Parts: sequence; structure tokens; C-alpha cells
Amino acid sequence: MTIGLFAVFIVITLGVTIWARVNTRGTDDFYAGGRAFSGAQNGLALAGDYMSAASFLGIAGIIALSGYDGFLYSIGFLVAWLLTLLLVELMRNAGRFTMADVLSYRVGRRPMVRTAAAVSTVTVSVFYLVAQMVGAGALVSLLLGIHPGETFMGISPEAAQVITILVVGMMMIFYVSYGGMKGTTWVQIIKAVLLMAGTTALTVLVLSRFGFNLSEMLGAADARSGRPGEFLNPGQRYAKDADGIVGKLDFASLAVALVLGTAGLPHIVGRFFTVPDARAARTSVNWAIGLVGAFYLMTLALGFGATALVGQEAITAQDPSGNTAALQLAQAVGASVAGPVGGEILLAFIGAVAFATILAVVSGLVLASSTSLAHDFFGHVLMFGKPKESQEVAVARFSAFVIGVFAVFLAVLVRDMNVAFLVALAFAMAASANLPAIVLSLFWRRFNSTGVVCGIYGGLLGSIALVALSPVVSGGPRSLLPPPVDFHVFPLENPGLVSIPFAFLCAVAGTLLSGEKSDPGRYSELSVRALTGAGAHGQPAKNVGGAR
Amino acid sequence: MQADDLAGLATDERFRLLKTRFRRLALTIVGAFLGWYFLYIALSAFARDFMAMPAIGNVNVALLLGVLQFVSTFALAWRYTRYARRKLDPLSAELRDEAGQRQAERERERRILAERHRIENWTRR
Repeated sequence: MTIGLFAVFIVITLGVTIWARVNTRGTDDFYAGGRAFSGAQNGLALAGDYMSAASFLGIAGIIALSGYDGFLYSIGFLVAWLLTLLLVELMRNAGRFTMADVLSYRVGRRPMVRTAAAVSTVTVSVFYLVAQMVGAGALVSLLLGIHPGETFMGISPEAAQVITILVVGMMMIFYVSYGGMKGTTWVQIIKAVLLMAGTTALTVLVLSRFGFNLSEMLGAADARSGRPGEFLNPGQRYAKDADGIVGKLDFASLAVALVLGTAGLPHIVGRFFTVPDARAARTSVNWAIGLVGAFYLMTLALGFGATALVGQEAITAQDPSGNTAALQLAQAVGASVAGPVGGEILLAFIGAVAFATILAVVSGLVLASSTSLAHDFFGHVLMFGKPKESQEVAVARFSAFVIGVFAVFLAVLVRDMNVAFLVALAFAMAASANLPAIVLSLFWRRFNSTGVVCGIYGGLLGSIALVALSPVVSGGPRSLLPPPVDFHVFPLENPGLVSIPFAFLCAVAGTLLSGEKSDPGRYSELSVRALTGAGAHGQPAKNVGGAR
Repeated sequence: MQADDLAGLATDERFRLLKTRFRRLALTIVGAFLGWYFLYIALSAFARDFMAMPAIGNVNVALLLGVLQFVSTFALAWRYTRYARRKLDPLSAELRDEAGQRQAERERERRILAERHRIENWTRR
């Protein structure tokens, strides 16, 4: 039944994608959806791009098992949008399709800058992609109820996992290379509506079981959490007192990356350019804040509701990391409202929503990286900024295919590893590599191209190196490499606390030491354009700069 | 849009006002939300007993402050948007229109010059 509902979603989105293909002509259409989406539409799509299955299933699961500590993720993911709100208008005015447009407006035509931006965009996206796709593979065996050692219609769990990764990969390649930004945006909008509807329905049903009394629900959750009396207090999962100061710093490091990473995520930045002007971009971020905020508030009801109604034992029995808590909750709530059939129906619906969520997020990521490859690397580096539009779009469609295949390959390769850390790492990389370059470009008069390049590579390599030398990879209790191997030097699992200041330092040092003169005229131009929108890329064939 | 049209506006008194207003607002908001967020993170890490105190029924201080983070985010977003609509948008629209007009004027001059050139060439023949 889940599969049936999911098939309906696929059919509808395929229809939309084919419609989008017919209506996509040049680069403005393929990369920016013709810049014709309204603020509300783009806001829904932003929320759709942002709310991944990791937040839907993952956070509900962490709250269900560790209580309050899971809620900290929700808070970080929301608060981060304020920074996005402050930057969105400036970036919409200054850029055309990608982050690199904003950076190189400032420093002129420098292939090094474009290349660095493309490398960073693709790296961040691929890390995030792999995490999502491995998650999808793990989800399917849980949804179909296949336990290790059993088979479902002759398919073993391992095979089901690989098949799911392949199917998700094929779908996302199709959405992006065929539908471009128009198709992908509609996929996001449909998914956001489904996800909000599903979570709202579930939340209302859960709260109704407790007479809409939050305190009563928390009490019931505490009682069935396996450690009554402590469950609702902070420190159940992160920064445990036993871990001492290192645990607390690690926790702060995660918090920094969450709050600073969002504004540098490539698939979020790419969405700033799909609206006609800066005002619409601001409206869309406000919509996203409303939707994302409502969604993450509801994760409280999902998480604590799951503990209260399903119980900690039943959740860990199904999946030790709690990823199925929301699904089990759907089944339990549905059953209590309309009997076993109701349980199956609600479970199928929420399961299909989870799949739609994964599919939409991975499509957004593939689109962002293929846009950057085609526009920044092919268009500006290889073709010296003078490619034919049709050529560039063709390259973008092809890049979507290449990146998609590459991500599927990686996901199949690492499917048995615990890759949950990749999501946090992607946020840390976005915060370290992209945010310093963006902020300094917009606000520092002396910033130059050497500074941009140093900042991006410093942040990117810094965060990857720190994770490679951390207990995530070796020498910790949950490391990727088996116990005898231990080369960890850096004590924190999250690099943000060190890598973000390091990237700023690299950018500043690169600027000051290079001896390259920055062009103050260009900085004035950029600031006028960013703040007023004069000369900004508008809707094609209409009044440039918006007609308000 | 020609580069000097934009650079010319950079020294305009109204643009300076726009820039000061935006920066002051942005810094206030960034300071407020980052400060409040990190205070909250620090409390979660170091003031466990305080955060575990019950506030309303089973809702403890940690959860209450967490929900307040949501409220403050909505409030700051609303505050920024209202200020931008009242104090930033009119200024930036005025400057943008002026830049557009200047560009149009330049375009017209260029066309007149080209036309004159054409006529001169034609009469010389």
C-alpha cells in the first residue's frame, strides 16, 4: 500500500516534470525556473528542499529515544533561517544562478574562484546526497517489514536496499535532467504540502489522545521512556556529564554548524534566484520560516508521542537508532482511531510521505551541483564565460546524470556504514567553505580573489581533515574503521567550532598576504546592486530590476 | 546596466543612509539571535539543574526556553520584514529607478549619436 501511494506521487511528479520539460528553453528556465515563481511557491519549495527525511524520521526518533536533546536539532535548523533571511535579498540581487556568481561579481573573471565554488558546491551536495540515499535504502526494508535473514517476495533486505538506492537515483536524475528547476520546484512544492499535511494530521491525532494537554503527553512519555524521571532533562544523548568538557565542546560545535550552515547550503542558495526580485525572495524565506518552524514544533509531538504511545522498548526493537519511531507512531495512532485498517492506512501514508521527502531532497541537491558544474565550471572556466545557452543546458542535463550515477555508486558502496554523521558534516562544510566567502564578499572592501579561494579550500579541506582525524573515523566507540586502527588526533566529532574560524582566517590571510589589489570600484558596484537591486537579473523579457 | 551608473550611486547620500540602516538592523538581529541561541546552548550544556526545573506541569525550563527560541525566531523575522518594508524598500526603489532612468538616458544619447553619425556619413557621400 505504501508502494501504491508512492506510485501515485511518482506518476503526478512525472507528469509535472514532462510539463516542465516542454516549458524549459534557456538557462534562465533550466537553472532558475524562469524566475517566475511567486514568493509563496518558492517558500514552499525552500521548505521542501530543506526538510529532509533525516529531520522527519531522524529527529522524531532522537526525541523518542533521548527526549529533549533531539529537540536541539529542531531549534538549530530553524534559528539558522534568520541568517538566511538577512542574506537572501543581497544574494538575489547580486547573483544570477549560483553562489559563484555572487563571489565573482566582486573579483572579476577569475577561473580559480569559479572552480573553487564549483568544487565546494559539488562536494557538499554529494556528501549530503549519499547520507540521504543510504537512509532511503535503510528505510525501505523497515517499511516493508523485512528483518535481516528474511525475504520479501523473494527479495533479501540487502537486495531491497540496493534496489531502493537505484530507483531513487534514477528518479532524481530524471526529475533534474528532464525537468530542470521548474520540474524540481514543483516536486518540492508537492512534497512540502504532503509532508506538512502528514505531520499535521499525525500531530493532531496524537495530541487528541491526551486531550490536547502537552504536559500530560510528556508525563506519559516519561513513564514509558525506560528511564522515568530523567528522560525529559537535557544531556540524555549529547554532552553527557560523563564525557566532560570534550563532550560539551563537541555539542557546541554541532550547534554552530547547524546555525551557520543553512545559508551556505547550495540547494538552498540556488533557490534564491527562482523569484522575480529581492522582495519576492524575502517573502519566500518568510514563508519557509513559518513552514519550517511549524514543522519542527510538531516534531515534539511526533517524538514524545511515539515514546508515550509506542514505548521505548518497541521502538528500539524495530530500529536501535529510532528512525522508525514516526512510522510506528502512525500505525499506533491510526489503529486507535479506526482499528487495524486505520493503522495500516496511516502507516502507508506516512511511509509514502517519507519516500517523497527523500526523493525531493536528493533532486534539489543534484540540481544544485549540476547547475554549478555546468554554469560555473563548464560555462565560465572551460568556455571563458561565452558558451551557447543551449550548450550550457545540455551540459547541465548531462552533469545531473553524471553526479546522480556517482552518488548512487557511492551510496551502494557505503550502504552498510553508519553515515548519519555525513549530514552534520555537510552542514559544517557549508558553514566553513561557503559562508565566510559569501559574507566577506558582501561586506569586506579589501577582499580579493586569493582570499575567496583560500577561504573556500581552507574551510572545505579543514572540515574534512578534522573529521578524518576525529573519533568518527577511528579510535572511537562508533568509528567507521574497526578498533585496532586508531589515528585520531582531534577529539571532537563535529569540526565546525574549529573549521569555521579557520576558514575565516584563511580568507583574511589569503587576502592580506597575496599582494593582489582589490578593486574598490567593484565593491561599490556590488554593494549598490545588492542593496538596491539596480541591474539585478530579473525575469527575462521583462523590465529589468523589477517593476514595483 | 553600466558599471559607473552603480558606482556613481555609491556616494549618494541616500545610498549611504540605506547602507547604514541595513547594517545597523542586520547587526542587531544577528547579535540578538546568535547571542540568545548560544546562551541557550550553554545553559543546556552547563546549567543542567536549572534546565531540569519544572515550569508548567511536566514542561521543564529547557523545553519552555526551546519553544521560546521558536517564538523569538518568528518575532525577529517579522521585525526585520516590517522594518525593511518601511525604511529600506522605499529608499532602494528610489535609487533603483534613478539608475534605470540614467541608463535609459544614456541609451537615448547613444542612439541619437549613432543616428547623427549615420546622417553625416550619408551626406558626405
